[in-house]
Amino acid sequence: MTSRRQLLKSAVLGGGAGVVAATALGSLGPEAAFGAAAPDVEPGAPDPDFAEGRIRSIKDNTLLVLGSNMVFHNIRVVDGTSLWKLGPTTFDQAKPGDGLYARGVRMPDGVLAAESVWLNIVNIKGHVSNITSEKIHLDHKGQEVLCHRVAGKSIAVYSDAPPSADLSLLRVGQHVQILGAWRPDTNEVDIATVFSPH
Amino acid sequence: MARSQPTDPPIDLQAAVRGEVSWFCCGTAWGPCSSTGKGACGTCNSGNLQHAWPNTSDACWAITRPDSCGFALSRRTCGFQHRITALCSGTSVVTSIADCGPQTDLFCGERSCCGATCATDRIIDLTPAAYSRIASLSTGLRPCEISTP
Repeated sequence: MTSRRQLLKSAVLGGGAGVVAATALGSLGPEAAFGAAAPDVEPGAPDPDFAEGRIRSIKDNTLLVLGSNMVFHNIRVVDGTSLWKLGPTTFDQAKPGDGLYARGVRMPDGVLAAESVWLNIVNIKGHVSNITSEKIHLDHKGQEVLCHRVAGKSIAVYSDAPPSADLSLLRVGQHVQILGAWRPDTNEVDIATVFSPH
Repeated sequence: MARSQPTDPPIDLQAAVRGEVSWFCCGTAWGPCSSTGKGACGTCNSGNLQHAWPNTSDACWAITRPDSCGFALSRRTCGFQHRITALCSGTSVVTSIADCGPQTDLFCGERSCCGATCATDRIIDLTPAAYSRIASLSTGLRPCEISTP
């Protein structure tokens, strides 16, 4: 049976048929995407099938990304690539300046054929220092991060209760984890999910 | 003053342990992560297959206090390897310790589920490279099982 990884590879190398094959895998949605076998990498070592950094430019279906370690990555987005920016999104929402993490298959020429690209995603923990109707002020390692509620997008998860759009149970002083999308070059984040232990 | 660990045998020496796994950034980074350093071991990078463990030293234990949630976890130091299996997908990754964390005591009693399969309390954090091998980064938090490779 052809693996997802093989199909992604062929999508980049083989052109049309491969792209169709990758699309036929479905949405390459979050959970389904993580059953594919990845090559063995020594624990502790850099994962060659992963990249992080900020988008410098976009040409056709390729993101030119400068890693925080100053290494450049060419990240190819194909039909089946799953993109996230505060939620599932489309390639046209990727902008120069966005931060990203990407996972895929590293091609022989060094291009990363992307299975998933997460744009501006952050996952930070901290104490709630203030709450208004629109924002949560988070003390994250001594730095304030302004976390914006986004109507129709922001949810709270109170332990194992079903996700809720009601953020009113959050309290000043409590510890939370906020998964969201960073607003580039600011200390502000749009909230996707607030995880509260109770 | 560093607090001492309980004397009972750590539960992770008896069998695999179930708990919650999240992800964190470290090393050179962008956004709110840009102020994050290389972690307690001085080697942590978001792109490496690494994790944070709540009991890497007395000082670490004094901060994370997993015992306050009922966990007696073994002392394991920088470079020690764990296998983390996502209970949602069954996929696993082997990573090595690069930092102290998570701060288990601040989330005591929190529970994550995949259907009827649940795990309680935060006992490990993965780098984005490691977490994205077993789940989408957009999930943020998942139940997992931790064992030795």
